[in-house]
Amino acid sequence: MVALARKTLVYEWRRFLPAVLAVGFAGLLQLLQAALVLGIFGSASVYITGSSADLWTGYPGTQSVNLGRPISSGVEMRLRMDPEVTRVEPFQWVDADWRGPSDTGGVSVFVSGIDPQPDGMMFSLALPAALRARLNEPDAVIVDVADLNSLGVAVGDTAAINGHRVRVVGVSRGLRALGGVNVVASLATARRLDTDPANVDRTTYFVAKVRNPDLAGAIAERLRGASDFGSYDVWTAKDFARRSKMYWMFDTGAGAGVLFLAGIVFLVGAVITSQTLVAAVIGSIREYATLNALGVGVGALRKVVMEQAFWVGALGLICSAVIGGLLLILGHSYSVPVALSPATTIACLSLVMALAVVSGLAAMRSLRRADPASLLR
Amino acid sequence: MSSQPLPMTALDATTQVSLQAISVSKSFVSGHVQSTVLHDLTLNMCASELTLISGPSGCGKSTLLAILSGLQGADQGKVIALGQDLSLLNLRALERFRLLHTGFVFQGFNLFPALNALEQVELPLSYLGLSKTEARRRATESLEEVGLGPRMRLRPSELSGGEKQRVAIARALAKRPELLFADEPTSALDAANGQIIIDILHRIARTHGTTVLCVSHDPRLVGHADRVLSMEDGRILSDHRPTSLPTGSGYGTEEPSA
Repeated sequence: MVALARKTLVYEWRRFLPAVLAVGFAGLLQLLQAALVLGIFGSASVYITGSSADLWTGYPGTQSVNLGRPISSGVEMRLRMDPEVTRVEPFQWVDADWRGPSDTGGVSVFVSGIDPQPDGMMFSLALPAALRARLNEPDAVIVDVADLNSLGVAVGDTAAINGHRVRVVGVSRGLRALGGVNVVASLATARRLDTDPANVDRTTYFVAKVRNPDLAGAIAERLRGASDFGSYDVWTAKDFARRSKMYWMFDTGAGAGVLFLAGIVFLVGAVITSQTLVAAVIGSIREYATLNALGVGVGALRKVVMEQAFWVGALGLICSAVIGGLLLILGHSYSVPVALSPATTIACLSLVMALAVVSGLAAMRSLRRADPASLLR
Repeated sequence: MSSQPLPMTALDATTQVSLQAISVSKSFVSGHVQSTVLHDLTLNMCASELTLISGPSGCGKSTLLAILSGLQGADQGKVIALGQDLSLLNLRALERFRLLHTGFVFQGFNLFPALNALEQVELPLSYLGLSKTEARRRATESLEEVGLGPRMRLRPSELSGGEKQRVAIARALAKRPELLFADEPTSALDAANGQIIIDILHRIARTHGTTVLCVSHDPRLVGHADRVLSMEDGRILSDHRPTSLPTGSGYGTEEPSA
């Protein structure tokens, strides 16, 4: 079989270049958009995904981790009573106001009060043990290295949170938050910073570890029913992270925005790609008509066009994957919140391949003009 | 009336009718005006002959070719090619019929710019279901037959007009068609190349027993045809067989003895 589609693509590459670029850019845009959205909204659940707890216990109906309300400290007892629960740890969330030493005005911060022990569950993935240990110092806080500028501090500087003096004892990575700046402190420090008198003796969350993480769902289910210690709810870490992400995605309207933009990108890409393919078909219409006169069926000619669309799609995909990969690495090195799961990558790239296929189908229609009788003029 | 597409020699071929038009009429409507292009035409064409249909432009000769080759349907009458009534075939079957039995050469050479001469010829062969080696063998053979053996690796941009038309002929020939249709095959070429082309077509008719139907307004071709049909206004005015090839053409003497 003579590889007509491929040979034409190589020989007339200038003609096909716009289509390859359109597919490539569409793919790149979809990938980066998905990576940014997942990265940004993924940081809504950094408290959960950065920690090693299996269960989260908080105020009933909490839609996102940053919306936690204090629950009774007695809930801790209830959790410990379950034979499957091996560890329980409080997590204090304080919405606070930051005043830095330099002129940055007020910055809204989220203070996370955690257990600074080396084997603590909270932020166990984001904070190495040595760094955690520094939180034992009174009024010590840790921030993300990327937030130093907006907080107007350097390591070792002092600042004020809700009017209390704190000192930045270290920086970490992977602590960036949505809608504010994360500040990590010890539980004791966080309680001192909490100015709301109603929160005395109450804790925002209790996180727990279970013997067998595979059973976390069932354990959450059975802990959830009780109401002996006031109202609370129990979620698995995975569920709660998802809940938080979804809340941000749809509360901010970003989800709809992303879908809208994906639609636009798809449409524009498909228009450019199909027009390019149509032009390529029309450019060879007499040759196609001759083949048809010689008895090569319309179906076979359509296959040639679809094969061209496929190669255009494949080349575009390679372009977008390579450039996208490089940009993601670049983004990571500049602490830009980007995250891409294999499933999302495959979804984006399939969407782009679908774009190429749709364009091929559109271009196939122009083969109707390949009427061999029109050659007899 | 029907004929079998059997291998024939030049001698008995004149009796073999391979292509027939029976009371064929065709008209086109543009706006409110209906113009009849073919008036109740009946003719028989024979294998191993180069039949030339000549006439001024607009006389309906290209339409006749389109109808005889099955590219277009007639309004009335029927076309019987190789014993098959073409009006009874649907689009798919017509494509199949063309694939198996007919070759075409057009005024424009219609070669894919990306393919070299060998690939141009191989391309339709691959749809015939031939193996790669068989397709290559046939393509090479056809290109050698039209004198392009040494230039079969060149792309159209590297070939002259005459050479391109020879590639187009090889492409039609490699399928080993019983019917070969040529529409103004020489009008884009200079005299010398035109002579070569018509000579090749004539030789194909003689050596392969092919029914070659050539449509042209080029008067220089008349002497090279076995039979000349003159058309005007959708009718055949004359049907004659030039008794001998004109002197000084230089190509008649090269004619192979089949």
